[in-house]
Amino acid sequence: MAEKDWKDCIRSLKGVVLDMCGVLYDSGEGGGVTIDGSVEAVKRIKASDLKLRFCTNETQATREQFVAELRRNGFDISVHEVFCPAPAAVAILKERDLRPHLLVHHDVVPEFDSVEKSNPNCVVIGDAADNFSYKNLNDAFRVLIGLEKPVLFSLGRGRYYKEADGLKLDVGVYMKALEYACDIEAEVVGKPAQTFFQSVLTDMGIEPQQTLMIGDDLVNDVGGAQSCGMLGLQVRTGKYRPSDEKHPTVKANGYVDNLAEAVDIILKYRAHSPFLRAWWKAQS
Amino acid sequence: MAARRRLKAVLIDLSGTLHVEDSAVPGAQEALARLRRAPVSVRFVTNTTKECRRMLVERLHGLDFHIEEHEIFTSLSAACRQVERAGVRPLLLLHDSALEDFAGIETSDPNAVVIGLAPEHFNYQTMNKAFRLLLEGAPLIAIHKARYYKRKDGLALGPGPFVTGLEYATDTQATVVGKPEKTFFLEALRELDCQPEEAVMIGDDARDDVGGAQNSGMLGILVKTGKYRPGDEAKINPSPHVTCDSFPQAVDHILQHLL
Repeated sequence: MAEKDWKDCIRSLKGVVLDMCGVLYDSGEGGGVTIDGSVEAVKRIKASDLKLRFCTNETQATREQFVAELRRNGFDISVHEVFCPAPAAVAILKERDLRPHLLVHHDVVPEFDSVEKSNPNCVVIGDAADNFSYKNLNDAFRVLIGLEKPVLFSLGRGRYYKEADGLKLDVGVYMKALEYACDIEAEVVGKPAQTFFQSVLTDMGIEPQQTLMIGDDLVNDVGGAQSCGMLGLQVRTGKYRPSDEKHPTVKANGYVDNLAEAVDIILKYRAHSPFLRAWWKAQS
Repeated sequence: MAARRRLKAVLIDLSGTLHVEDSAVPGAQEALARLRRAPVSVRFVTNTTKECRRMLVERLHGLDFHIEEHEIFTSLSAACRQVERAGVRPLLLLHDSALEDFAGIETSDPNAVVIGLAPEHFNYQTMNKAFRLLLEGAPLIAIHKARYYKRKDGLALGPGPFVTGLEYATDTQATVVGKPEKTFFLEALRELDCQPEEAVMIGDDARDDVGGAQNSGMLGILVKTGKYRPGDEAKINPSPHVTCDSFPQAVDHILQHLL
C-alpha cells in the first residue's frame, strides 16, 4: 500500500512528536553531540501553533538527568514534555504488584526507587550498555528460568543506536537473547508499543491522524507511530541507513535530511495558501 | 525412498555413546575394535565448542579407546571448513581451548564471525565488535545454538541467546554448523567418499544424532545411554532405524544386519 505523502497532511497537523537521540543529538559522553539546526528547529515548533512532545526510549539516565543535559546544550525542553519507558514501567509494576530484578543502566536505577525489588518475580531490562556482561545477563536469565511463569519487560526493543564512536547494540538484542533462552515473549514498554504512543496522544489531547512522529528509527519510531494511526517521518540522521528507504515492511510517510529541514517544510506549508502550496510543491 | 546401498561408513557420537563423563560405556572399547575389523570406515562426530580434537583424543585414550585425531570430526572442524571454503578471516568468539582447531586460519582484519560457547567474550564491547562486522556484511557462523547448559553453580546461558541477539540486530541468519545440521553429516562423510545412503550414525541424542543423520539420508541408531530418556525414540519422525541398549549392541546390529 502506498503511504500518504506527509506534505499533503501538514495543514491538518495539530501536534508533533519528536524522537530525541538521533534527531536532536547523537549520544556519547557528556550529553553527546547536538545535530546541526535541531536546537533552532525545536524553538520554531514551539513558537508555532503546533503542540510538541518528546518521546524517547532513552533508558541510560533518569528523565530529569537527560532533560537537564539537553537544556545545557541549548534545547528548550522541560521534563513534563518528555515520555520515556522507565516511568511507564514503574506504573505497570505497581499496578500489577510485581517486584523486578533490574538489568538496566546504573543511571536509570533511581527511577525505580519507589518499587519493591526484594525476592523478584519479574525482570526489567533496559539499555544497560556496559552492564550487559555475561554475568549480569546470566543473573537475569536465572531469575526468569526460576519463575513458574517468567515475566520479562523490555524498555524498548531497538536493535542498535549511534554513538559518537560508532553503532552500539540496543536493548532489543538482549531482550531477544533472553526470549530465546527462556522460550518466552517479552512485554515491550516504550516505543513501538501502541500503549506508549497512546499515552502521548492522550496527554496532547489530539487525534493520531493530526499528529506527526519524527524519528531516525524506521521500525520503532515511524512504524510504531503509523500503527497507531499517526504519520511517521524519518530523518536521515542518527542511525538512519539508506537501506531504510527500501525496507520490506515499513514505509515512512516521508524522508527528510534532518529535523531542521522537516521544520522548514512544515512551517512553509502551514504559512502558504493552497495555491502557493501547490506551486511550492511543484518547485520542490 | 532411495534403495539402501552397501554400508561403507559408521559415524559414532562420543559423549553419552562411547563414554559417560569419565567412564567408558561397558564393553565399548572391545565393540569398537570388532567394528574396526569389518570392512567399514569409522568416524567420530561430536558437538563441541570448547574442546579441540587433541583434548578429545587425550580423554578417549585415557579410557583405552583406540582413536586417532584425524578420525574425529567436530562442530569446530565444520566451522573451520566453512571458514576455509568461504575464504574469510574470522573473529573467533571461542573459548581459548578451542582455538587450536583453527591454527593456520588468518584472523587479522576480520570479515566473518564464528561464535561458540565463550562467556569470556560475551561482554558488551566484543558483542558490539561482532555486530559491526555483521552489519558490514560479514557472515555469522554459529557452532551451535544451545539455549543454556548446566554448570556446577547452576544453569548458564549457552551461545544460542547471543547468536539470536546478533541475528536480530542485523536482520541476518547465522549458519549453524554442528549436529543436527545436514551439512555437518555430509561434511563428515566427504573425505570418506561415501554417500549418506551408505552410512549409519550411532548416538544417544534422538534429535541431534539420530534425527539429524536420518534427515541427511543416513540410518540412525539410538543408544539408551548418556542423555537418553525413555520415550526419546518417539520424539523424532521417522523413528530411529533401531534402538539399542548401548554401543556394543549397536555394533552387533550393524555386523549382523547391515553388512
